[in-house]
Amino acid sequence: MSDDSTPDNVRQTVFSIIAKEAGIDESKVTLESTLKDLEIPSLDAIQIIFEIEDHFKIQMPDRDPDFDTESVKGLVETVEKLLADKAANPPLPGATPPAPPAA
Amino acid sequence: MNRRVVITGVGAICALGHDARTIWQGMREGRSAIAPLTGFEKQDMRVKVAAQVRDFDPAAHFDPKKLILLDRVSQFALVAAREAVAQSGLDFAQGDLRQRSGCVIGTGTGGEVTNDECSKRLYGEGNPRLHPLSIVRRMMSAPASQVSIEFGITGPSFAVSSACASANHAFAQAFALVRSGVADVALAGGTEACLTLGVLRAWEAMRVLADDTCRPFCKQRRGLVLGEGAGMIVLEDFDHARARGADILAEFAGAGMSADAGDIVMPSDLGAARAMAAALRDAQLSPADIDYINAHGTATPANDPTETRAIHAALGDHAAKVAVSSTKSVHGHALGAAGALEIIAAIGALRDGVIPPTVNFIDPDPECDLDYVPNTARETPVRAVLSNAFAFGGLNAVVALKRAA
Repeated sequence: MSDDSTPDNVRQTVFSIIAKEAGIDESKVTLESTLKDLEIPSLDAIQIIFEIEDHFKIQMPDRDPDFDTESVKGLVETVEKLLADKAANPPLPGATPPAPPAA
Repeated sequence: MNRRVVITGVGAICALGHDARTIWQGMREGRSAIAPLTGFEKQDMRVKVAAQVRDFDPAAHFDPKKLILLDRVSQFALVAAREAVAQSGLDFAQGDLRQRSGCVIGTGTGGEVTNDECSKRLYGEGNPRLHPLSIVRRMMSAPASQVSIEFGITGPSFAVSSACASANHAFAQAFALVRSGVADVALAGGTEACLTLGVLRAWEAMRVLADDTCRPFCKQRRGLVLGEGAGMIVLEDFDHARARGADILAEFAGAGMSADAGDIVMPSDLGAARAMAAALRDAQLSPADIDYINAHGTATPANDPTETRAIHAALGDHAAKVAVSSTKSVHGHALGAAGALEIIAAIGALRDGVIPPTVNFIDPDPECDLDYVPNTARETPVRAVLSNAFAFGGLNAVVALKRAA
């Protein structure tokens, strides 16, 4: 996992998730593309975000004006920022979800 | 045989209130019942707001022997059905009325509260023993069964499911039963109790939920807000209703249905327009007869402009003159119960000559160029109404109501 957080690897992983989920050749994905340019429908777009969140164990913002999740560059930068935030503020041991209550 | 069909009773429960009169009052006043989501404080939810039914005490409505059989989705259906039947004045014990009556109830998700409890035991607690009444609580047809049992209705009774169009599809089926003479009376409606952790998390993942409130057709809209509840109406053969001197609330004039046969989530203006045009044809109404459209109006980026184009396509020049509003701005999106709550707006508009507003409206969106009755109700005579429901998966159902003649 730790290797993923280097900038090159973040970019590479995001590229490959986009290519896999959208069913397109990875060589078509560039930092300059938007999801629209790549003709990725909205249902594929939310699956891309879901896979990114699952892979990096982060939560991507939802229509936050400070984040651009419409372009490949924006996605990569958002992941990098969230990973940096996570590294700076590791979750407290007590912050794991509470155990389900006994019946 | 094509008989006239009328509405002689209505009942409902939703975030706006626990009976149809209170709900209609809330719609007229534009009193939004959307509020911070409660009950999930430990879960760090991304969904922040919902239109939850509050202060509902099932024990006040059902004895313990009955209650153990009922998922929340059936509790809502029964509360609404009791109100509708009481208003209609029907006595199902009279003559052969039980055999001559049916019951059609739509639900999008069914017994989700029971489903959630089962999942919690199985996966959360590692307990393989589920409650023995889990199946009869959670089956999609449980609300229809429970309502038929409650009133002893022995004619055609079944569930209808088409996601957010379930209630309108149920109305269309019940209407067909009465119009064709298969039944003299049909209880029809929709019910939903979908605000469980599992369903909420699934909606969060789709990224279509608003984090502020529901603002249909306006530029600042940020998505839909989930709601819950049930609505039920009594549909009755006109002659049957007249012969017993029933108070006729409105005429159920027609229904139109279509499928987009396109995308599983993106709506089609053509599919929606075909359902509206079919409803007009079925009701033998022309566009100029329609004074009000209760819109599907979910406030998602995709629905509202698409529905606007559909209204233009179905109504032509009259689209610019018709009042359109989305009451989801006050009761949220109750999925399979949506059309059943919204028929209250349709009936209310016909009876009181008042168009309930689209609230939380800030600035117009250039892509949505109709008269959405923003923020304040409007008094105007209403002769006929369309009520739209367009579901995920492209399943559309529109109902047409006329003022009681």
